[in-house]
Amino acid sequence: MSHPFVAIPSYIHIYQGVGADQVNGSEIADYLKLILKRAKVDLRLEFFNFCLSFYSGEAKADIFNETAVQMAKIKVRDVTKKDILSEPMPLEIEYEKKNLLKSTGRTFGILYEGFKLQQLYLKLINKEERDLQHLHFIITDQLFATWDHHNHRYHARTSIYGLPSLLSTSGIVEAPAKPRDFYLKRQLGEDPHLLKEEYQESFIDYSDPRMTDVLKGYVAQALFYHLAGYPFCEDKNCRLFNAHRQSELIHAQMLSPYEFCPTHQALLDQLEEVLSD
Amino acid sequence: MEKKVTFSKASEKDVTRAIVSEFTKQFSEYVESDVIVVGGGPSGLMAGRELASKGIKVLVVERNNYLGGGFWIGGYLMNKVTVRAPAQEVLSELQIPYKEFTEGLYVADGPHACSKLIAAACDAGIKIANMTIFEDLVLRENNKVSGVVVNWTPVGALPREITCVDPVALESKIVIDSTGHDACVVKKLEERGLIKTSGYGAMWVEQSEGLVVEHTGEAHPGLIVIGMAVSTTFGLPRMGPTFGSMLLSGKKGAEVALEMLDQH
Repeated sequence: MSHPFVAIPSYIHIYQGVGADQVNGSEIADYLKLILKRAKVDLRLEFFNFCLSFYSGEAKADIFNETAVQMAKIKVRDVTKKDILSEPMPLEIEYEKKNLLKSTGRTFGILYEGFKLQQLYLKLINKEERDLQHLHFIITDQLFATWDHHNHRYHARTSIYGLPSLLSTSGIVEAPAKPRDFYLKRQLGEDPHLLKEEYQESFIDYSDPRMTDVLKGYVAQALFYHLAGYPFCEDKNCRLFNAHRQSELIHAQMLSPYEFCPTHQALLDQLEEVLSD
Repeated sequence: MEKKVTFSKASEKDVTRAIVSEFTKQFSEYVESDVIVVGGGPSGLMAGRELASKGIKVLVVERNNYLGGGFWIGGYLMNKVTVRAPAQEVLSELQIPYKEFTEGLYVADGPHACSKLIAAACDAGIKIANMTIFEDLVLRENNKVSGVVVNWTPVGALPREITCVDPVALESKIVIDSTGHDACVVKKLEERGLIKTSGYGAMWVEQSEGLVVEHTGEAHPGLIVIGMAVSTTFGLPRMGPTFGSMLLSGKKGAEVALEMLDQH
């Protein structure tokens, strides 16, 4: 039977790079199983440490050292300049080494070049799992950014889809814009902690109990990227809506009257038919 | 009946002699130190205090007359300073009164905190060259940093034809750059093509305070970078008046210096 899907994966691997107290990985895995019933969904450890566990001895040390060097190289040092790669200082490489060893709770704040980070991670994936049958969803608290050709600067992103797909919990907090008044008051010197209390309903914060629910929308987008070739939807009520503001994000993922818009729901229904054939 | 206060006799020349002889004696002694800290703000004072309390010979070079950098005041020129846990432990250690404002956020009186930190550093045994501006580095074999070249601060403010005053060099085993976002010492290495700094990132990213502490360390042989200078050197996000990381970065810088001195 012919169908409109680009590829229907058989396996989805979720890598939990943030603490279980931050994101419930099992809940996300169960959610994906509901959408794509045929696929085997497994929850794995943090991505880098998972990949590294397949190596030993000198090969392991080489991959570890080289990844640390590459991570230090792909830092976005100036958000207004594109593709600046410079030789990192030894201290920066040492920092990345310490960071790579952490399975969760990596320090926030450093911005990595998103597509270069994705390329780096792709090379780490086992060759047997480097195809369209295997989807890799990396949940991380690292921040990454991509260059915006319209206003010529880097912007922090919540996610980058492809092989593998990167989903950043820090990006969910930092990338979509918070309410305008929040920024104005912060610029005027109001205490950030009190401001957060005042606006806590208006944006997703670090350690937010809503994070798992919000992430479900992002893994759905990552899945649609592979299934249909495009991850987003223009319907503000659909989980696939590409939110640029926190208010839009919270609405699409938590307050919407329906989960998927009629078009995308129809696609999912069709997917079920295809899989049942 | 009011008691009369009588000061002991000392002529003008005695006063001048006391100043000159004590200054030159100390200056001569500190022409060679274990550690020179460039910048007497919170991170530099903290590092100096930690090192001096362990018997390390420390000279703090400060371009202003006053020490403490921005630690006297918090944001918007208001003289309350804040630190986030676990940096309140440093306030306790220095016997600086503070209170918990919200969970994990502590506030102290700026002048009290700053003067206590200065006093603690002085009590530990640091010596200070204030009104002294860093001009250049002393480099030895393999471009190892081995001291600094300094001058009186006012010299730079006057036209060169009036004040053609050559600087002097001070030697040390280690130099610490705690000159804030200017990162003056690191920038001098950059001018010579020995290091490439990144400049601080424009983004404000929450919870990045720990990055400064984690990146504190030896940026070039013989040169440790601490405090806000770390942000400039490694391109970390710019931060507001977050003094906790300055104090903890100073402590970590001192630990790194002690390890290096052990290997010396």
